[in-house]
Amino acid sequence: MAAAVASRLSRLLGRSRPQVGRPMSSAAHSGEGSARMWKILTFFVALPGVGVSMLNVYLKSQKEHERPEFVAYPHLRIRTKPFPWGDGNHTLFHNSHVNPLPTGYEDE
Amino acid sequence: MTHQTHAYHMVNPSPWPLTGALSAFLLTSGMIMWFHFYYTTLLTAGLLASTMTMFQWWRDIVREGTYQGHHTSPVQKGLRYGMILFIISEVFFFAGFFWAFYHSSLAPTPQTGGHWPPTGIFPLNPMEVPLLNTAVLLASGVTITWAHHSLMEANRKESAQALSMTIALGIYFTYLQMSEYSETSFTISDGIYGSTFFMATGFHGLHVIIGTTFLTTCYFRQQLYHFTSSHHFGFEAAAWYWHFVDVVWLFLYISIYWWGS
Repeated sequence: MAAAVASRLSRLLGRSRPQVGRPMSSAAHSGEGSARMWKILTFFVALPGVGVSMLNVYLKSQKEHERPEFVAYPHLRIRTKPFPWGDGNHTLFHNSHVNPLPTGYEDE
Repeated sequence: MTHQTHAYHMVNPSPWPLTGALSAFLLTSGMIMWFHFYYTTLLTAGLLASTMTMFQWWRDIVREGTYQGHHTSPVQKGLRYGMILFIISEVFFFAGFFWAFYHSSLAPTPQTGGHWPPTGIFPLNPMEVPLLNTAVLLASGVTITWAHHSLMEANRKESAQALSMTIALGIYFTYLQMSEYSETSFTISDGIYGSTFFMATGFHGLHVIIGTTFLTTCYFRQQLYHFTSSHHFGFEAAAWYWHFVDVVWLFLYISIYWWGS
C-alpha cells in the first residue's frame, strides 16, 4: 500500500518536472490510452446523443404547423431600400409558404 | 544554408501582406458598391484576391513550418500567443452581437409591443432542431479531442477517422442551420428580432464553415504526413478555433434560442 502510494507520488513528481522546449504544449499532458477514452466517449456518449436528438426532431416534426395569419405590422417586413439581390423584395432564405412580403403571403 | 545561432524565424520578404491589405480594401469597397449600387464586379475581384492571398500565404506558412523547420519551440510559442489573441478578438466580435441582443430584449421598446419576442414574431422551438445542433457541436468537440489524442499517440488511422467525423458533424450542422433558415417564419427584415437573430447566428454559421475548412485542411495535411505526434500546431489551432465556435453556439443557444423564445 505504502509502496504503491510512494511510487505513484514519485511518478507524479516526475511528471511535474519543468518541461524543456515545448512551452504551452497540450502534448505535454497526454496520458497513454487517453485516445481510447475519447473514442469510447464518441461512440457511447456523443453519437448516441446526436441520434436521440435526431429522433426527437423527427417525432416532433410529425405534427403539421399552421402558418400565422398575416398582419401588416409596421415593425415587421421592413423595406427601407431594396435587397441587393433578385427583385429586391425577397430575403435570401425566402420561403413563400411561411414568409409574407410586406403586402401579404404570395399565394393568398 | 547559412549558420544560425538562434531559434527564431527570420521571415523572407513576402508579397502577401500587401496583396492581403489591397484585397481587404477591395472587399470593403466591393461590399459598399454591391449594397448601394447593385455593382458586383469589385466585390468579385475582392473575394478572388483575398481567397488567393489566403491560400498562398498559408501555403507558405505550411512550407516554412513543415519542410523548412522554421517552427521551432520559441516560434511555436509565438504562434500560440497569436492564435490566443486572435480568438480573444473573436470573443469581442461576438460580444457585440450579444450586446445588441440583450440591449433590445431586456428592455423591449413599445414600438415592437413592449415584450420579447416582439409582436408578430414566432420564434423557433429551441427543443427541436436547435437542440440537435447543440448535440452535433458537443459531439464534434468530443471527436476532435479523440482525433488530437490519437495524433499524439501516433495512431494515424484513428486520428483520420476522428477528424473526418468532426468534419462531417460540422457539415451536418451547416446543413441543419440552412434548412432552419428556410423554415423560419421570420426573416432578417423583421425588425430588431430578425436583425439580431440572423446577425448573430449568421456570423456563427460563417465561423462554423471557416472552422470546417480549417479542419479539412488539417485532414489533408495529416494524410500528407505533415504532422508528428509532438509537432502539429496547425491541428491544435484548428481545435482551439473549433472549441471557440462550439462555445459561442452554447451562448447563442441559451440566450437567443432558449431564453429569447
